[in-house]
Amino acid sequence: MKQFWYGLALLVFLALPPVRELLESVMAFHMHMQMMLLFVSGLLMAPFFQKRFGHIFESFNKTGLPGVVIFLVIVVYWMMPRAMDEALEIWYVELWKFISLPFLAGVPLRDSWKKISKTFEVVLFLVLMVIFAVMAYLYIFAESTLCNNYLMIDQQTVGWGFAFFTLCIIMYILLVLFTDQSQYFGDDSETS
Amino acid sequence: MNKPLKIVTSNKLALTNFATAFALLLVGGFLGLIQGLNRAGVLEIVGGINYYEVLTLHGIFLILAFTTLFMNGYLWSATDYVLGGLSKGIRMMGWVAYGLFMFGALLVTIMVLAGEATVLYTFYAPMAASPWFYIGLVFVVLNIWLSGLGVFISAFRWKRRNKGRHLPLFAFFAVGVYILITFATLFVAAEVFYIIPWTFGWIDTINVMLTRTLFWAFGHTLVNVWYLVAVSAWYMVVPRVIGGKLFSDSLARAVVILIVVLNVPGGFHHQIVDPAFSEGLKFMHLFMSLAIAVPSLLTAFALFAVLERTGRRRGGKGLLGWFWKLPWHDVRFLTIMLAMISFIFGGAGGIAQTNNQLNQVVHNTLWVVGHFHVTVGVAVVLTFFGLVYWLIPHLSGRVLTKKIHNLGIWQTMLWTVGMLFMTLSMSYVGLLGSPRRTEYTTYGGNATALEWDPYLLFVGAGGTLLFAGVVLMVYIVYHLMFLSPKGYTPFMVVEEEEEDAHKTPKWTENWGLWVIVAVLIISMGYVVPLVDLIGNAPPGSPPIRTF
Repeated sequence: MKQFWYGLALLVFLALPPVRELLESVMAFHMHMQMMLLFVSGLLMAPFFQKRFGHIFESFNKTGLPGVVIFLVIVVYWMMPRAMDEALEIWYVELWKFISLPFLAGVPLRDSWKKISKTFEVVLFLVLMVIFAVMAYLYIFAESTLCNNYLMIDQQTVGWGFAFFTLCIIMYILLVLFTDQSQYFGDDSETS
Repeated sequence: MNKPLKIVTSNKLALTNFATAFALLLVGGFLGLIQGLNRAGVLEIVGGINYYEVLTLHGIFLILAFTTLFMNGYLWSATDYVLGGLSKGIRMMGWVAYGLFMFGALLVTIMVLAGEATVLYTFYAPMAASPWFYIGLVFVVLNIWLSGLGVFISAFRWKRRNKGRHLPLFAFFAVGVYILITFATLFVAAEVFYIIPWTFGWIDTINVMLTRTLFWAFGHTLVNVWYLVAVSAWYMVVPRVIGGKLFSDSLARAVVILIVVLNVPGGFHHQIVDPAFSEGLKFMHLFMSLAIAVPSLLTAFALFAVLERTGRRRGGKGLLGWFWKLPWHDVRFLTIMLAMISFIFGGAGGIAQTNNQLNQVVHNTLWVVGHFHVTVGVAVVLTFFGLVYWLIPHLSGRVLTKKIHNLGIWQTMLWTVGMLFMTLSMSYVGLLGSPRRTEYTTYGGNATALEWDPYLLFVGAGGTLLFAGVVLMVYIVYHLMFLSPKGYTPFMVVEEEEEDAHKTPKWTENWGLWVIVAVLIISMGYVVPLVDLIGNAPPGSPPIRTF
């Protein structure tokens, strides 16, 4: 329950007008910080919904796959430059951002995470890596502004941000593939 | 049969590092004395060397060389001791690292003394030194990378031999320190490899703001590396010295991880009054800078808990009775305790400077110099001094005598009073507007500048006391290395946890993951300003020599 309140507090904080204005003033903050934090607020709130509406998750997200699909659809939607522009221009698209990222990306992904296999986790990271790499290429090398509300340099910055995300995912995949990550879970090992 | 006494196997390497570090402290301290007396208006620097050369060497010797060598000596000893010895190959690596450092430091020193590199320890472009000065710095960085590699390999091998066990906490600190300093030096390496072609004339101009940004990603992190080295002693040594126990193994490891992961973007607050960055960006970075306060506050909590519990166990009663039961007469405790107390003020000053408005008042004034003399000069250096009294005798196979112990108490007092004089006067006169990095001048008898003079006299007085403290310290180190009676001094490391401590979770060991998280957070902090600085680069500046 504690996590739910933290998640809700984060969501409310992000919705405060000065915070919203600051985070939307720079394209990289908008895409990589505000949207990311909205997603994180959903992750934090997920256990509350799993407990309260367990039967819904049980019947619609039994294998975890539907949750991942919803998560990917929402993430890909918010990658589109037009979606960002509309969020800045049209109030109900902005509202949609504040609903979709926490509740349709964060919550379903956390519910799915324990249901999917380790192999599927790696596949999901690979998919995200490819999406982010494509976005990095698009935003760094596009010859015109893709988002009307931001400058070219803002766009290139976002591209480089995606490039670093991609790099981190590659490093993580290598870590998972070449090290035994199971040794880092639980707290029952003896201390030195 | 008696159990053989456990000792550090790489003691010669550690002692060589310490001997060089304290020799440099002596020279650097003397240069500090000259500066202090000059700023006090009582000494004019003559004899073919000028104030700015003295300032450059003072900064390089003390904030870069003394600290790096001490860190290598101390953390290699700790890693060696807790992991049960270092292999021959690793020890050889340590000697090569030391050789690289000496070569680099020699090159840097010669260039400064030749008047070819009066660029201060921050070497801001467009001031351009001789390329050989920067090449010398490359070798110093190579020392750090090689020293880090030695610790990483040793820790990795230990983990392979001891599957399922946590890396001993002291070695965990060492791994964290060297990961952090590796991140920091990647930025300065990028900066130096950008500056070298420019100073050779292979490229005409340089992007000044880019070099400053790369420098502070390194510079601030470096100071926090020294802080983390000191913190390792606070967690690992202080409880043992006072007869207490480690508060929580898990918390200590979480603090190391947080400091490593959050630190690098904090450097941006050194550029809070620089042009070329938007107010919004500076505001976002405020959060990243202040995030570093979180592990510091966790540390304060854990350490006060250890001190209070131990004081109460020693018979302390009432709200603060435990405080007076602590072993204040023991130099090994007194030094580090004063260091920790000073960090309360140093840390608070740092938080104030991170604030844009307050920073505008004190930026480039002597306040800043006062601040880092509290944080590095007291919190870090007094901690280092506190380690000397048992670490050097342990390494040299000698014991601390009563005479040297008492001399240590005097040294600590001298250092504390000297630093109080110097830092308080620097801080106050900084608030009155006295600039840093400036030779003594009254600006033609200007009334405002004359108002600073009484406080600057205290800077000189403090510097004099501090130099006396340096001389005493160097004598103590020399005595502990060569003159003290032979014997066995135990290695001070806390071994037990409080009974009710939380069991250490396994995820703390996942350094691969923490490095990835650190890369992610560093990119969050630096992608925006760096892309902007490169994408919107001005024509740049040719090399400028002001000396």
